[in-house]
Amino acid sequence: MSLQEETTYKIIDILDKESMSYFYRGHLTQSITDGILALTETNLTKANEPVKVKKRVYTILVEGLQNITRHQEGPQGHKSFFGVEQSGEYYYITMSNIIPNQNIDHLSGQLDKINNLEKEELKTFYKQALLENELSDKGGAGLGLIEMARKSGNKLQYDFKKINEQHSYFYLRTYIKHNLSTVDSNTRHLDFSNIFKLHEQLESEDVLIIFNGIFNQESLINLLSIIESQMATQPSLRKKVFNIMVELLQNIVKHGLAINDSDGNPGLFYISAINDGYKLNTGNFIKTEDIDALKDKIDQVNKLDNKELNEFYDKRLFNFQIDNSKESGLGLIELRLKSNAKLEYAFKKESEEHSFFTIEVTINR
Amino acid sequence: MMIPVLYIEATKDTPKILFDAENNQFEISEKSLPEDAIGFFQPVFDWLNQYIDNPKEESTFVFYLDYYSTSTAKQLTKIFYLIEKLSEKSKVKVVWKYQDADIDMYHAGLRYQKMLKIDFDIQKV
Repeated sequence: MSLQEETTYKIIDILDKESMSYFYRGHLTQSITDGILALTETNLTKANEPVKVKKRVYTILVEGLQNITRHQEGPQGHKSFFGVEQSGEYYYITMSNIIPNQNIDHLSGQLDKINNLEKEELKTFYKQALLENELSDKGGAGLGLIEMARKSGNKLQYDFKKINEQHSYFYLRTYIKHNLSTVDSNTRHLDFSNIFKLHEQLESEDVLIIFNGIFNQESLINLLSIIESQMATQPSLRKKVFNIMVELLQNIVKHGLAINDSDGNPGLFYISAINDGYKLNTGNFIKTEDIDALKDKIDQVNKLDNKELNEFYDKRLFNFQIDNSKESGLGLIELRLKSNAKLEYAFKKESEEHSFFTIEVTINR
Repeated sequence: MMIPVLYIEATKDTPKILFDAENNQFEISEKSLPEDAIGFFQPVFDWLNQYIDNPKEESTFVFYLDYYSTSTAKQLTKIFYLIEKLSEKSKVKVVWKYQDADIDMYHAGLRYQKMLKIDFDIQKV
């Protein structure tokens, strides 16, 4: 089993396969925030959420993202972390940013206070906080936290994880139910250990963004805009990443297997930073019976050197025997040409019918 | 009779297309990564097929793409074949523009230039 395979399957194991989720790890800027919001909107629209739920999820996201944007300086290698998951009847929102250890007590106090208030009291508290408007030099005054508690209608669950003597990660999780009319009598206690595990895994691989959900042209465009604005790198490398990402994601859109009735195909995408460039991974379901054919195709392009690849590309470009809305016959050749590295891949049989296919493309500067 | 102008505005995943016979403007620009490239470019094929029947003396086709997917690449080949067909009847020129640092786009232009029998100019912008 290759290293890549282990990593991908490790991540998949942590993520709930039944759920839709995405996590972003890195410095948040306005354009990335916009991209994340657009991605969420696309997914909420697809899920046919009532407007009220959409608006609430949206507000919680905006407040959470702004909160991270204001507080995201930390030691080297440590980055803010943000995620949305949809599983069963619930949306879960997770955010994490780095705070100085001396702020832990104050923050815990603030959150405990918010969590102890009933709905009406929260409203009063919010108004009061608005009036007092005790803005710290970074803005805020805890208004964002109160707003998040109000919109979710649930407690803000939190935890801290020490990074070093100066800093800790502050984790905040909350949830919102799809169907607001059915009341939860008991608070759901959210698990933090899985989030810690995922965050650690993503940190060790320097994963920048991970998307586990339904792939369609819309989610592809939203993911592209997030990645495009995130990469502070030279234009030629950025363009290569863009190129390869489009080919990989369109592969899922066009060839992935839809397991349930959905507006697209389920799959996984993540991108990680490596020494001299980036590593892109995707995973999707295919028919088990198609494994051999796909394997042959990849092995075929992996065997070719640069000159042969170019010849093969020319041949295919001017050959219309393979030309339909699903296939141009150029995708894999393009991946090899643009990355200038062998394509790593793996298959994992899920059942007689379905298998999970992962592919990894490395892009060097 | 002049063929009506074909104008398609650019979106996040489809290019801008302007084919205006009267003003001798034929241009495809920006990004192209539609899910169904064949469907998207069909109006262009139809337009060109009509234009071939009754072309102007001279036509200059400008391609200034920032990015395109492999499924688009194949449809560009079809457009070039139609332009090649047009060149049998009238004077035709293709200008392939690319941004200074965009070596990949330059090479993409070379690829088409090499395979086609038309006046194919590659220009750095």
